[in-house]
Amino acid sequence: MKRFTLILALLPVAGLLALAVGATDVAHVWSHIFNPFSDSNNSAHQIIWSIRAPRVCAAILIGACLGIAGVLAQGSTNNPIADPAILGTTAGASLGVLIGVLFNVVTIGSVGAVIFAAIGALLATIFSFSLARSALQLITIGIGVSAILSAIVGLTLAMISRPDARSVSFWSFGSLALVTPQILWVLLPVFVVASLLAWKIAPSLDLLSLGDASVRHIGHDAQKIRLKSFAILATLVAVTVSSVGTIAFLALAAPHIARFINGPRNRTLIPFSAVIGALILLGADTAARSALPPHELPIGLLTSLIGAPILIATLKKGGDVWR
Amino acid sequence: MALIEIKNLSIVRGGRKVIDGFNATIKPGAITAIIGPNGSGKSSLLAAIAGDIAYNSGSITFDGEDVTSLSLLEQAEIRSVVMQERSYWLSYSVRDVIAMGQNAEALTRIDEILVSLDMVDFAEQSVTTLSGGEAQRVEIARALVRDCEIYLLDEPLAAQDAASKVRIITLLKKLRDEGKTILVIAHIDKSALTWCDQIIDTLAQ
Repeated sequence: MKRFTLILALLPVAGLLALAVGATDVAHVWSHIFNPFSDSNNSAHQIIWSIRAPRVCAAILIGACLGIAGVLAQGSTNNPIADPAILGTTAGASLGVLIGVLFNVVTIGSVGAVIFAAIGALLATIFSFSLARSALQLITIGIGVSAILSAIVGLTLAMISRPDARSVSFWSFGSLALVTPQILWVLLPVFVVASLLAWKIAPSLDLLSLGDASVRHIGHDAQKIRLKSFAILATLVAVTVSSVGTIAFLALAAPHIARFINGPRNRTLIPFSAVIGALILLGADTAARSALPPHELPIGLLTSLIGAPILIATLKKGGDVWR
Repeated sequence: MALIEIKNLSIVRGGRKVIDGFNATIKPGAITAIIGPNGSGKSSLLAAIAGDIAYNSGSITFDGEDVTSLSLLEQAEIRSVVMQERSYWLSYSVRDVIAMGQNAEALTRIDEILVSLDMVDFAEQSVTTLSGGEAQRVEIARALVRDCEIYLLDEPLAAQDAASKVRIITLLKKLRDEGKTILVIAHIDKSALTWCDQIIDTLAQ
């Protein structure tokens, strides 16, 4: 509990720092931050509260969603290298959004895009799931499905010549620049409901770590647990992909770092991984938008650059034992 | 007391008939060992009784009820299984692993089983740090902590030292005296199985 309070306390600190920095230098930045309801016509105030604040909130929520998605992916496949990208879920969500955008049904960052992403994510995941007969097969088939769907998305993006093609392509590499305040009202309830459901099934994910046969011997169906877990996973991935595109590495790294800090029990792993995911994405996005103004750096590269060394360091420090 | 009957059982795995026309009546309230050399299909036989693998012909019944007609939950209420291999990649404590997925009644017996299998010293230790024999005892504890009519054990003594063997045998005998039906797979010779009430040799069929 003490450890959790400690890392949770880092979140508001990081959030405030993220509000304070950005492409534009804002004069008296802290007085604007600590007086959110004054002076709303002031341009500095608007930069902080209308442009940076939604983005900071989105980074926290999306990072948390991906942190939980990683726990679900690794727990349900009983495999330390699993993440939503490996299961084909992320690529399915991307293709779903792309189809919606190309047929002019939805725009990126809208509620409609979330629905298209959710359908794509669920279909891809269920497709991988229905072909696989074991957790290991699932990973292998998931990698295949993911590769096929990513290739279709990539080829389509390369072939289209529309005015909005650039923004679609920008989105597909992952960016929080297209986040709208409206999307927060989709992210927040999905995050709350999905994390509660994940917390509810967490003990069955512990049981899955003993292998499918042990689960069966005690009277449960491993595939049913997996299916529930994938439904939550696909929803989480759908909201993140439809609003900010594919963000590399975060869902893989956050659970490992969380396990290193507080052990493998999924009930505690879920909140820990959520906070760690939020911190990494917030850090990466703040760097992405303020390091090289006016350019935005690709966030996926930064999450890799921040997440991977922490992951390697934690595993090295943990010795030869997976925690 | 539960009676296990196996009639004319055949199991084909990977195109090879590992069990062919096997018959056995496992006495209720007794310890029965099924023996045979490597590759004689003993583990497949146990997996079929446990409901883990499908068989191709014949039947396996618990008190006259076909195993394949029982739901997962019904099977779990009747029998408890100890598997042979066990490896862990997550550092749950020994106590956590024994408790995973257990019902409330089994949870109250964890301390007792830790004592009877001499596991108190490493109960809070991570399962990733255990020796082969210790890990096998975690698996045995997980199965024996549950109150079932039938206990199925695949080579439970294989990685154990002399003292642990005695402890496990004592525990199995105690369960037998309470009327439980115990089926053990072993590849050791009959002379080492004096603690069993019935020995079935797969080669003799």
